[in-house]
Amino acid sequence: MRSRLRWPVLLAAAALLLAACSQGSDKPSTAAQAPAATTGCASSGELAMWERSGGNKQMVDMLVAAWNQKNPNCKIKLTYIPHTEMVGKIAQGIASGEVPDLMGMDLIYAPQFEDAQQLVDLTDRISAWPELKTASKGHMTVATYKDRLYGVPLYADVSALFYNKDLFKKAGLDPNKPPTSLAELRAYADKITALGGGIKGYYLPGNCAGCNIFTVGPLMWASGAKIEATGPGDEPLVGDGVKQVLQFTRDMVSSGNVPEGARSENGETFHLQFGSGKVGMMGTGNFNITLARQQNPKMDFGIALLPGMQPNTSASFIGGDLVVVPKGSKRVDDAVNFMKFLLSDEVQVEVYAKALNLTTRTDMVDNKYFQAEPLVQDVAKALTVGRTPYTLTFFEQINSPQGPWLKMLQRAYYSDDNLDTVIADAKTAMKAIANQ
Amino acid sequence: MPTSSRDTAVYRSRRSRLVGLAYLAPALLFVLVFTAWPLAQMGWMSLHSWSLLTPPRFIGLANYRRAFADDQFWVSFVFTLKYTVIITPVLIVGGYLLALLVSRPSRLRRFTRTCVFLPVVIGLGVSSLLWYWLFSSEFGLVNKALQDLGVISDPVLWLGVDGNRSMLAIIASVVWKVIGFGMILFVGAIQAIPAEITEASLVDGASWWQRVTRVILPLTLRTVLLVTLVSVIGSLLAFDQFYIMTAGQPQNETATSVFYVYLNSFPYLRLGYGAALSLILALTILAFTVVQLLLTRRSHA
Amino acid sequence: MSATVELRRIPAVAARRRPRAGRGRYLMGAVCVAIATVMLLPLAASMLASVKPTAEAAASPPTYLPHSLSLDSYQRLWTYQQGLPTYLLNSLGTALLAIAFTLLLTVPAAYALARFPIPGREVLFVFLLLALIVPYQALLTPMFLMFARVGLTNTLVGLAILHTAIQLPFSLYILRNSFSAIPRELEEAAITDGASSWQVLLRICVPSAVPAIVTVALFAFIMSWNEFLGALVLMSKGASFTLPLILAAARTETSLGGTDWGMLQAGITISIIPCVLVYLLLQRYYVSGLMTGAVK
Repeated sequence: MRSRLRWPVLLAAAALLLAACSQGSDKPSTAAQAPAATTGCASSGELAMWERSGGNKQMVDMLVAAWNQKNPNCKIKLTYIPHTEMVGKIAQGIASGEVPDLMGMDLIYAPQFEDAQQLVDLTDRISAWPELKTASKGHMTVATYKDRLYGVPLYADVSALFYNKDLFKKAGLDPNKPPTSLAELRAYADKITALGGGIKGYYLPGNCAGCNIFTVGPLMWASGAKIEATGPGDEPLVGDGVKQVLQFTRDMVSSGNVPEGARSENGETFHLQFGSGKVGMMGTGNFNITLARQQNPKMDFGIALLPGMQPNTSASFIGGDLVVVPKGSKRVDDAVNFMKFLLSDEVQVEVYAKALNLTTRTDMVDNKYFQAEPLVQDVAKALTVGRTPYTLTFFEQINSPQGPWLKMLQRAYYSDDNLDTVIADAKTAMKAIANQ
Repeated sequence: MPTSSRDTAVYRSRRSRLVGLAYLAPALLFVLVFTAWPLAQMGWMSLHSWSLLTPPRFIGLANYRRAFADDQFWVSFVFTLKYTVIITPVLIVGGYLLALLVSRPSRLRRFTRTCVFLPVVIGLGVSSLLWYWLFSSEFGLVNKALQDLGVISDPVLWLGVDGNRSMLAIIASVVWKVIGFGMILFVGAIQAIPAEITEASLVDGASWWQRVTRVILPLTLRTVLLVTLVSVIGSLLAFDQFYIMTAGQPQNETATSVFYVYLNSFPYLRLGYGAALSLILALTILAFTVVQLLLTRRSHA
Repeated sequence: MSATVELRRIPAVAARRRPRAGRGRYLMGAVCVAIATVMLLPLAASMLASVKPTAEAAASPPTYLPHSLSLDSYQRLWTYQQGLPTYLLNSLGTALLAIAFTLLLTVPAAYALARFPIPGREVLFVFLLLALIVPYQALLTPMFLMFARVGLTNTLVGLAILHTAIQLPFSLYILRNSFSAIPRELEEAAITDGASSWQVLLRICVPSAVPAIVTVALFAFIMSWNEFLGALVLMSKGASFTLPLILAAARTETSLGGTDWGMLQAGITISIIPCVLVYLLLQRYYVSGLMTGAVK
C-alpha cells in the first residue's frame, strides 16, 4: 500500500527531473541575428497561441485558418481563454515561465504589460516595415511604450453611430441626414420614441463598462474631454465635455428614450440590440453590420460618426486585439512572421475585407469588397477620428464591472445625484487606482 | 466512557502508536505539502506587494491596515454576513421541516427525499448557470412564468441591477441546491431516535408540535448545530454563485468577501492584498467555529 | 447504541404505528408531490431547452416546451474547439484520479485516527481539517507556482491533487466517524486470531464502512467534476480544459460576447447527467453513508 501511495510523489519527482534537464535550451535571437521576416515558417512545429474569448472569434479563427493553410509545418494551435480571466492568466503564465509562443490580447491592456517588461521588444525587427506606416493608429499607440514597439494589430473594431433609416422615415426625419451633434441626436430620438409600440430612439447599456467606453467615451472625446488617467499623477476626467455628456445621457434616460431592459445589459446581448429593429439610433461597432443583416435582413440602416456637443465634431473608439509575444516565448521568429502575414496585402484584402471586417491598414480600405459595401466604407471613416485610451490600469479604472467608470455612468443615468459630485468621486477613485 | 479504555489491548501497545502514525503519514504529508505550505506562502505573500509581473516587495502589515481602511472590504464583509444571516435559517428550518416530512417510511416520501436531494449532487457552478438562465430578464423562464400567471406585468430585472433583489434571487437558487443536504442529515438524526420515545409521546397524547419541540428537536440538537456550522462556514466562503450570477454587480454590492479576494488575486493582480484578505476571513471563520463548537459541547448534556 | 442499529428497527416499528387520519395523509401527499415538482422543474426545463433548435433556444421571450426537437446545440457543443470528448475525458480522468487519491490518503488516516493511540491525535485531526476554513481561491496562485516548478500544470494529475487537497477534510471527517462507529468486537476477534492491523483494515473495517467510503468517493467525484477556478488556473492548453471551463466559455461564445443559450443548456445537461446517474445508482450507500458519517 505504501509503495502505491508514493507514486504521485515519484511522478512529481520525475517531472521535476525532466523539467530540470530540459532547461537551458533558451536561445534568444538578438536583432542582429534575426532572420528577415517572411510570411512563412521560421522553424517547424506547432505554435501555441492564446486569444481571449468574447472578442471577434470568427475573425481570429479565419486568420489562423489562413495561416495554417499556407504554413502546414508550423500550424497555430489556438486556445481561447475566458476574457475576464485573461489578464490573470497571462500574469501567471509569465511568472511560471509557461507562456504561449504568441498571443492575441485586448489592445488596451498592452501598456500595462509593456510597462512590466513582460512582452518581447520587437522594435529592431519590425520598425522598418512599410506596412506599419499605415497600420491603425490606435493599435500602434498602445503597442508602443517609451518609443519601443511590442506588437501589431490583430483585428480592429471601431465604434460609430448606427441609425435605422426605416424608423427615420417613419418619424419624418431625412434618412440621409444623421445627427451631427448631441442636441440633434436628442431631438431625433424624441421623434422616434414618439412612434410608440416599444420603439425607442436610443440605447444606453446600463451594466457594461466596456460597451460604454466604446460608445459613450467617444461622445466625451468629441466634446473635447479627456477620460483616463495615463499613469501616476495624471488627472482623469478633464474638460466640460464630461459633465455635458453625462447630462445628455441622464436626460436621454429620464425622457424615456432608452428601453427599460437596457439597464441590465451587461454586454452579453449588446450586439443584438440594434438588429432588433426597435432602436432608432445606437452607438455600436463595425461588427454590427453583418450581425444586423443576419438578424434583420430587411432593415435599412446607415452609419454615421459619433458626435459631440458641438456640431460636426466626432470621435470613435478604436478597439480590437493586438498580436504580441510574451517574454519567454521560444518562437519569436515565427510570431514575427505571423505578424508580417497579417499585414500583407493579400491577407488584408482576402481575409479581413472579404469578411467585411476592417482592414488594419488604412491604405487597404479602398478594395473591391468594400467598394461593394458603402456601409463598411462609412464605418472605416471612424478610423481617422478614432483613438485608443492609453493607461497602465485600464481594467481597474474603466473596464471593470466594479470600477469607477461604470459607477459614474450608472449614477448619471439612473440617479439624481449631483453630477459635479459624481464626477469628483470618479476622479478621486481613478486617480487612486492610477497612483498605485 | 473515555476512549482510551475502550481501545483493545492490541491497539494500546507502544509499537501500535508508530503503526498508527504510519497510516496517518501519507495524509499528513499530503496536507503539509499541498495545504499547509501554500498557506504559509500565503502568509508570506500577505506581507508583500506583488503583481506577478514584478518582483514582490516587502511592506510589512500595510496590506492588513489597508484592508481595515478599505470601504469595499467592509461592504463585502457586511454583505457576506447579511447573506449568511438570511440564508442559514431558511436552510436549517426548511431542511428540518422537510426532514420531518420525509422521514416517514412510505414510497412517496422516499421519492420526495430523492428529489429534494437531487440538486445537491449537481455542482454549484452548474446550478448557478442554470439559475442565471432562469432569472434572465429576457430569456429566462421565471419572468415568463410570473407574467403568464399575471403576478407581474413587465419583466423584472433580477440579477445585477438591484443588490437586494439579486441577493434574493441567488438565495433562492442556493436554497434549491443545498437544502437537501441538511435535510438528509436531519433525517438520519430523526430516524436515530429510539422508537419507544416517540411512541411514548404519542401515547401521552402529545400534539405534533409538542412532539417536535419537546422530543424530536432536543434529541437531534447536535446534528442541527453541526449542520448550522457547516452552513454558516459555507455561506461565509460563498463564491461560485456570486461569480457566475452577478459578478459582484451592481457596483460590487453583491461581492462577497471571497469574491473580493478573487478580484484582488486574479484580475487586479494584487496578490499580497488578496492573501491578507483571505487570512482575515479565515481567522474570522475560525473564531466563529470555535464559538460554535463550544456551544455544541455545552449542549451535549 | 449506534445509528445503524436504530435504522434497522424502524420498519418493524412503523408497521405498528397508527395510520394517520385520511385527509391529513392526502394533504401531506400533495405537499410531497408539490415539493418534488419544484425541485425537478429547473432540471427538466434545462434539458428541454437543450433540445430546442438554435433559433428557438435564443428566443425572447422563451418557450416552455420545444416546438420542435433538434440536436443542434449538442452538435455545436460536440465540435466546440477541441471537441466535447476531449473535455469529457479530461473531467472524467481528473475526477477518477481525485477519488483514488482521496481514498488512498483518507482511508488509512481515518483508521489511524479512529483506532490508534497516536499522541495528540485530536490536534492532528483538527490540523488535517485546516483547509475547511481557508478560501481556497487565494491558495491557488501559490499552488500554481509550485506545480509549475515541478511540471504539474496542464496535467490531470496536478488538477486531481488540487481537488484532493480541497476534498480531504470533509472525506476524513466522514470516514473517521464511520470507522469509530464500527463495533470493536469484530476487530478484537480478528486480532486475537493473529491478524495484522493491515488485514484488519482491509478485511473488517473497510467492508463495514462501505457506505461511508462510497459517500466520500461520490462527493469527491461531484466536487472534481464541477470545479472551475482551479482548472482555469492550472490549465493553459485547450487540450487540457475540463467541462466547467467550456461551460464558462459558452457564456461568452457567440461572436463579441453573446451567450449561446442552446449550447449552454446542452453543456449543463451533459454536466448534470453523470452526477445524477451515479447518485441514483448508489443512492442506498450515499444516503446511509452521510447519515452514519455525520450523525454521531
